[in-house]
Amino acid sequence: MTTQELSATSGIELAQASRSNLWQDALARLAANRLAVIGIIPIVLLFFVALFGPTLTPYDFLAQDFTARLDSPSREHWLGTDELGRDVFSRILYGARTAVSVGLVSTAISLVVGLIMGSLAGYLGGRVDILVVWLTDVTRSMPALLLAIVINLTLKVPLEAWMEQLYLETKNTFFRQTMWVDLVLVFGALALIQWPGYARLIRGQILSIRSRNYVLAARALGMPTSRILTRYVIPNAMGPLIVAVSAGLGGAMVLESAFSFLGVGVQLPIPSWGKMISDGLRMWQTHPHLLAGPAVMMAVITVSFAWLGDGLNDALNPRQWK
Amino acid sequence: MSVLLDVQDLQTRFKVRQGYVYAVNGVSFRLEEGETLAVVGESGCGKSVTMLSLVRLLPPAASIESGQVLLKGADLLQLDQRQLREVRGGQIGMIFQDPMTSLNPFINIGAQMAEPLIYHRGMGKKQALARSAELLEMVGIPDGETRLREYPHQFSGGMRQRVMIAMAMACEPAVLIADEPTTALDVTIQAQIVELVKALRDRSGVAVVWITHDLSVVAGIADRVIVMYAGYVVEEASVDALFEDPRHPYTVGLLGALPSLDGDAHRLTTIGGSPPDLADQPTFCPFHPRCPYAIERCRTENPALEAVADATARGHRTACWVDIRELQSPVVSGS
Ligand SMILES: Nc1ncnc2c1ncn2[C@@H]1O[C@H](COP(=O)(O)OP(=O)(O)O)[C@@H](O)[C@H]1O
Ligand code: SF4
Ligand SMILES: [Mg+2]
Repeated sequence: MTTQELSATSGIELAQASRSNLWQDALARLAANRLAVIGIIPIVLLFFVALFGPTLTPYDFLAQDFTARLDSPSREHWLGTDELGRDVFSRILYGARTAVSVGLVSTAISLVVGLIMGSLAGYLGGRVDILVVWLTDVTRSMPALLLAIVINLTLKVPLEAWMEQLYLETKNTFFRQTMWVDLVLVFGALALIQWPGYARLIRGQILSIRSRNYVLAARALGMPTSRILTRYVIPNAMGPLIVAVSAGLGGAMVLESAFSFLGVGVQLPIPSWGKMISDGLRMWQTHPHLLAGPAVMMAVITVSFAWLGDGLNDALNPRQWK
Repeated sequence: MSVLLDVQDLQTRFKVRQGYVYAVNGVSFRLEEGETLAVVGESGCGKSVTMLSLVRLLPPAASIESGQVLLKGADLLQLDQRQLREVRGGQIGMIFQDPMTSLNPFINIGAQMAEPLIYHRGMGKKQALARSAELLEMVGIPDGETRLREYPHQFSGGMRQRVMIAMAMACEPAVLIADEPTTALDVTIQAQIVELVKALRDRSGVAVVWITHDLSVVAGIADRVIVMYAGYVVEEASVDALFEDPRHPYTVGLLGALPSLDGDAHRLTTIGGSPPDLADQPTFCPFHPRCPYAIERCRTENPALEAVADATARGHRTACWVDIRELQSPVVSGS
């Protein structure tokens, strides 16, 4: 066979097809992990509900029914009603939307910041590296919730005053909506808490992959740095990053609830599970259903993300592909 | 025969917290076309750093302080990055010690092998893959087309080293540098890899630098040998001269550490002690703390590499103050 004939046969198509094989392999591995599969179900449901919640809920989350206050679960109100006669089940579905959007946005912010800082530290090394590592250490040494409280207490009032000022100057009613201050503070606090983890992970990945033998071998073959980055460093760093993001999403949702629980979360009419838990806690002895609903949801989602993260970790680790 | 690679007075050191590690201290050697040169010495003697210095593949902490690396007359140490990449893989192919970690786990063998062909030879992807399949069969991996679609974890250590060899030879380099390519492999596989490199060399005429800490492989493959210790070349000779008439006490020690070939497997002497740390450039013979022949001068002056007296073959040089032939074989410490 000549070179042409050889290449005309299946060589290319199959060589490319098998690249996705690698991911299929990982997927098959994930599918074989029972806990991960169990974990995926609530997560998929969560995202589904977050997207379509409003069309699914039997009642509006704000609709108050003073004739049915603090009702126990019934056929009309599956998870009962709260003090104002609002349907708890509907509020939980809406709470999924808060949890998911807070999780996605804050993870995206901290991931971008972490990618930039971690890459700078890993590539430039020297003083930049020392500075970044120091910054991450300082941030991580502060308790997350304390940090959120401090941010809220010190920035909320000045930010709101500033918004009011802007409103007076521009007469733009947008600046009247203090909800934005809440969101900025919550996202900001979450991003601040989470970026160091991503930065350190990426820095470590770059340092370790750069010194791997296959990178040396590729350089010895004359491959340019850009090829080595796209073909060697990035694909090999992907696995741990996907795992970290999965864990980070769950973590951010839990943190947001914790913020709300402590009163430094999203102060909106929009329900947040953390807020519902803290409200429910006040009368859990007389009306346990107020606490049980959101608390169980929170627990299920947390455990699901942990299981999925574990499963991804095993599935994406090529050292275990034997 | 003409000189292909001419290394002159190469010095490489690492910057470390406490100062420097002097890993390569004025190494000079030549490689002729089609020749196989063995580089031997215990681990930590600067063999790898020397070879990585040739094509400037050193880690960031290392710097080449002086020297010339003339490949066909052009100094590699003066090339810019782009020219250097042409040399790497194009003119000088390298294979390394640990085949288990030398392949990217995320890319299949075909895509991995095609990269240098596409990059150096400007081949199209199809052509490069077809050539890769041929290369696999050339290094003794049958059914190359199928195996191109497999991933590194589907290959054994020996097979991976064959792939590495195929990749290093893909662009028909003038020099193949093999840095302890068999150290991490089973004994039977080691012999196969040695035979493979010999066969490829005989077919293509590539000049080979074969690094090893194991002298027993050397006789079968090399034409000439340089012995390294503490970042210095301490002896240089043709293979026959080195085995029959070693002149440096370190070489004698390394030969003594070989299991004897006359069936007496128990007679295995080793050199006591270990290579020195390389934190200073010595003003003494770096081998003297371990040398059974050491004299006073060895503690105050570092001998240079010079032609030996009464050489049986041309080009036999050593760095030692003592003519060890004049002495009774001393008691080798540690035996
Ligand atoms: N990254 C590094 N930093 C500091 N010293 C190093 C580094 N790499 C190698 N060395 C030193 O260089 C010397 C030579 O190493 P090497 O060339 O790898 O030895 P060999 O290949 O002969 O076993 C060793 O003493 C080692 O300690
Ligand atoms: S110079 Fe002295 S110490 Fe060094 S090898 Fe020769 S005899 Fe031994
Ligand atoms: Mg080495």
